[in-house]
Amino acid sequence: MAQQFDVIGSRAPRLDGPAKATGQAIFADDLHFPGMLHGAILQSPHPHARVLSVDASAARRLPGVKAVITAAEVGTIKYGVSPARYDETLFATEKVRYVGDEIAAVAAVDLATALEALSLIKVEYDPLPAVFDPLEALAEGAPLIHDEFPGNVCAEVHQEFGDVEAALAKADYVRTDSLKNKRQDGGFIETHCAVAAPDLNGRVTLYSATQVPHYVQRNVAMVLGLDLSKLRVIKPYVGGGFGPKAEATPLDYCSTALALATGKPVKMAYTREQVFLHSRARHQFIHEMTTGVTRDGKLLALKHRAILDGGAYTSFGIATVYYSGSLLGGPYRMANMKYDGLRAFTNKPACGAQRGHGGVIARALFERQLDLIAKELGIDPVRMRLENMMEVGDVTCNDLNMSSLGMRECIEAVRDGSDWGAKKGKLPRGKGIGAACGFFVSGAGYPIYRSETYHSTVTLKVDEDGGGIKVLSASAEIGQGSDTVLGMIAAESLGVPLDLVRVESGSTDFGVDLGAYSSRQTLMSGHACRDAALMAKNRILGSVAAELGVDPADLDFKNGVLISLGPVLDIAPLRTRYRKEHRGWPNLPDGEALSFAEAARMAFLAQGSIVGTGQYKPPQLGGKYKGAAVGTSPAYGCSAQVVEVAVDLDTGQVRVESITDAHDCGRAINRTAVEGQMEGSISMGLGEALFEEVKFDAKGRVVNPSLGEYHIPTIQDMPAMKCIVVESDEPNGPFGAKEVGEGAIMPTIPAILNAVFDATGAVITELPLTPERVLRAIREAQGKE
Amino acid sequence: MLLPRFDYQRPRDLSEALGLLAQAGDQARPLAGGTDLLVNLKLGKVTCRLVVDLDGVAELKDVSGPGEAPSLGALLSAAWLAKQAGGLGLMGLAEAGGVLGSPQVRNRATIGGNLCTARPAGDLCTALLALDARVVLAGASGRRELPVEQFITGPGLTAIAPGEILLAARPAPGATAGGSAFEKLGLRRTMEIALVSAAVWVQSEADGRTVKAARVALGAVGPTPLLARAAATALVGRPAGTEAFAAAAQAAAEAARPIDDHRGSAEYRRQMVAVLTRRALERAWSRALEATA
Ligand SMILES: Cc1cc2nc3c(=O)[nH]c(=O)nc-3n(C[C@H](O)[C@H](O)[C@H](O)COP(=O)(O)OP(=O)(O)OC[C@H]3O[C@@H](n4cnc5c(N)ncnc54)[C@H](O)[C@@H]3O)c2cc1C
Repeated sequence: MAQQFDVIGSRAPRLDGPAKATGQAIFADDLHFPGMLHGAILQSPHPHARVLSVDASAARRLPGVKAVITAAEVGTIKYGVSPARYDETLFATEKVRYVGDEIAAVAAVDLATALEALSLIKVEYDPLPAVFDPLEALAEGAPLIHDEFPGNVCAEVHQEFGDVEAALAKADYVRTDSLKNKRQDGGFIETHCAVAAPDLNGRVTLYSATQVPHYVQRNVAMVLGLDLSKLRVIKPYVGGGFGPKAEATPLDYCSTALALATGKPVKMAYTREQVFLHSRARHQFIHEMTTGVTRDGKLLALKHRAILDGGAYTSFGIATVYYSGSLLGGPYRMANMKYDGLRAFTNKPACGAQRGHGGVIARALFERQLDLIAKELGIDPVRMRLENMMEVGDVTCNDLNMSSLGMRECIEAVRDGSDWGAKKGKLPRGKGIGAACGFFVSGAGYPIYRSETYHSTVTLKVDEDGGGIKVLSASAEIGQGSDTVLGMIAAESLGVPLDLVRVESGSTDFGVDLGAYSSRQTLMSGHACRDAALMAKNRILGSVAAELGVDPADLDFKNGVLISLGPVLDIAPLRTRYRKEHRGWPNLPDGEALSFAEAARMAFLAQGSIVGTGQYKPPQLGGKYKGAAVGTSPAYGCSAQVVEVAVDLDTGQVRVESITDAHDCGRAINRTAVEGQMEGSISMGLGEALFEEVKFDAKGRVVNPSLGEYHIPTIQDMPAMKCIVVESDEPNGPFGAKEVGEGAIMPTIPAILNAVFDATGAVITELPLTPERVLRAIREAQGKE
Repeated sequence: MLLPRFDYQRPRDLSEALGLLAQAGDQARPLAGGTDLLVNLKLGKVTCRLVVDLDGVAELKDVSGPGEAPSLGALLSAAWLAKQAGGLGLMGLAEAGGVLGSPQVRNRATIGGNLCTARPAGDLCTALLALDARVVLAGASGRRELPVEQFITGPGLTAIAPGEILLAARPAPGATAGGSAFEKLGLRRTMEIALVSAAVWVQSEADGRTVKAARVALGAVGPTPLLARAAATALVGRPAGTEAFAAAAQAAAEAARPIDDHRGSAEYRRQMVAVLTRRALERAWSRALEATA
């Protein structure tokens, strides 16, 4: 660990900070092109209906309308997220399956005209009975949403590792608990937006507010029947994604199709209400769990079942239902685990991936149950966790390999940082403290479509004059700071200061990168970036070594200057040549050592442009069983939190007063960015625990599709936060780095639940913790006392 | 969600404003802070041809001087109330202003807008009702005054006539002789429409023990902010304290007419009326003692 870094581990300011702070950063909706049209989508007002006819003739005749597209124009190629479940078409032909299902799209000279045109499209519907509750959808006789999926079963998972029944039979104590959350929204600030701009050679550039330019490019090309080479996807700055922007949206398909139909640039954006209708956010889970332990709290077996309300289409749902099981494999030692997961179709917008994909409610219930077990056995819950903790090198029963694991350090850090010992069990009624752990992948081990593709490629080019470095990556900076992380990795690898590095990312022209999901970019894009930088550096050092007559292995760069690990260097001849090229220039390098710029210029003179390339795909990962691809990852991040709450015993209001948070992110590339993810995760977890719920009326319409009525935490709801970065050295990560983006959310909900239990004795089995629900639970608990 | 087209005028005095409104009839809308009007125009809930911005009408920002019966110009903002109403002896109104929306909304939202929007949960409406306030209206045919209770006639409905402008809200002349307080319950700490709110005003006899007069107003538990008369009756003439406050809280809960909706059940709201009323009374009473002393 004695390795010294010059850039990595610092608090370097974000590369995009100035542009964002001054409002100069360009987001999709800021884009304007000459002659640009505005598009809009017609969405179904019915949750479930047969589409008898679509008549767009009046809309087409409206002055200012340039194109109307329906299934008749764009066809019915099926798509989705996983090719195993392509179950969507761009426009409904036979049926609509939720309020918001797409029927047609229009491009017109302005948005008002486009909206007016939508109102002129006549659709004849034959309403069908609809079903909104997942349990009702699974019951016999429920309306069938997709003919191909009998019983409205979208996906089923049945996994058993070890022998759960035998282990439970041996347990001294077994208990069963349940937890139900509510459908959530991502709550990002920027709504989805896409602008498609055709050129004169039959190609289109699609600017999209997305987390995944690569998947958008593939899906849009597939659905519209385009060659991949005809479609370039560029992600401008993005105002948050959190998962719901991790797949191509109807805006992407429609704007591209309309741009091709009209030959004009077309902009389309969702209103906030449409963000709720598109959804692809957190599922509702109905989770039940049985855990068996020995008398002294050793975990023996876990048996659990989850039912997911998927909405009308699959989206990410197969991965979600698998993650809900697989992520409980760690971080505790447990030899036996059985999981039955079932994702139901309902007539609501489709759910997808959201921060902590699939694992959040399973984790919340399990960590909640650990506390209930600890209480029953009279063991301190923190101690019980420590005693069951895995160590580096352990492999879980479902084959997840703990190549690094700072879990113990995290728990100890939050225990000591929160003064747990002085508080647990000693707070007055109404005040409570609770702890929980969490655990998450650092990048999905496999791409969404079956392929041996590299997950990330990076091209790094040194300026011909030697003065700067450009990193080209198709990765997605969505506000999480990935450009800064890649820049820092490039700078550290080359041995130059960060300000020599420029990062350009987010374009499919720059290579392959699967994008910003599953907390993968620091590890995967970071790997490719480091390798590209090392290749470029070696090419420069090769030329310089040849000029100086030394072994390249004896040379390196540090802080932007050439250093020798061997003989003393005579750099005078090289400097003289460089100076001759720059006669009349002020500020030429004159230090004792050769600067990176001088060295890189010499290398260019010898070899031409200096380019390095890097690529990454995960090594062969464990697990031969069905579904092993969901959960296996090159590395796992982990975290622990201690939450303190104050509960108003008269109203049931919960106030989270403080959170002590520790996260093992491997080696922190940028500490401020790590803390930013930790704080952001807390905010999202707190919102899901206390406030957030997408509500529907009896006709399947969202009742609260605005940030006024869908409550995400405000700054006043946030607790005091103490964020402790725990560093392990992850062998599979670049410079030892791994995830923090999603895993950090895992402990928040259960730690809040545990603290509320500590404060009041209330056992709460349904989220969010509205004052009304909490008060009811407090009264029930009092009734039992 | 596009703002529809409309004409915009910014008159420089009241008569010009009244003239513009009179000309356009029901096709015109006054604009104060716009935090309701612009939202409703976008949603298509309100349509109009002309928007008359009242910002240039100076007298709508008038405030009564010290010693005068309190009068608050319709254009005074929630942020202004939060900072200044306490100094006028109207702490309940200051508290209501301070918990309305967010800092940005408070800077725009006005007394007149809150009253004319007349939401069942309107924070300023509820606080003004507890202060026995009257509204002053000006129209082409002169001025008139109405108690808030009569001004608000239903959810979103008021007694204002087309072409009239709300000039000011006037808490009862004796309001500053008592103490007031406002309590609001929501999910979040800020940016919340009240699930339940309670505004109370109490006055002490010279003995510093007996309740001389009281008013209890409730928000979000009826079609309009409600005056819980029985709660006041439970207080007046009795010694202030736990027992009287509990009785008043109970009476307030009984007076509430909450409904079940997606934000909460009627039963919970009713229970919370009691909790909030009691808490508001405790605070208001200590202020009443200061006002008496
Ligand atoms: C994000 C957000 C949060 C909010 N939170 C709260 C909250 O917590 N509590 C709460 O009570 N309200 C809340 N509101 C609603 C709103 O802010 C208040 O009702 C505010 O007081 C309205 O005042 P305004 O000046 O903005 O009114 P405007 O929007 O300008 O006007 C509202 C209506 O009143 C009419 N009007 C305004 N002034 C006059 C006048 N002097 N004479 C005649 N007619 C007039 C207008 O024509 C219009 O019909 C919130 C609104 C938003 C957008």
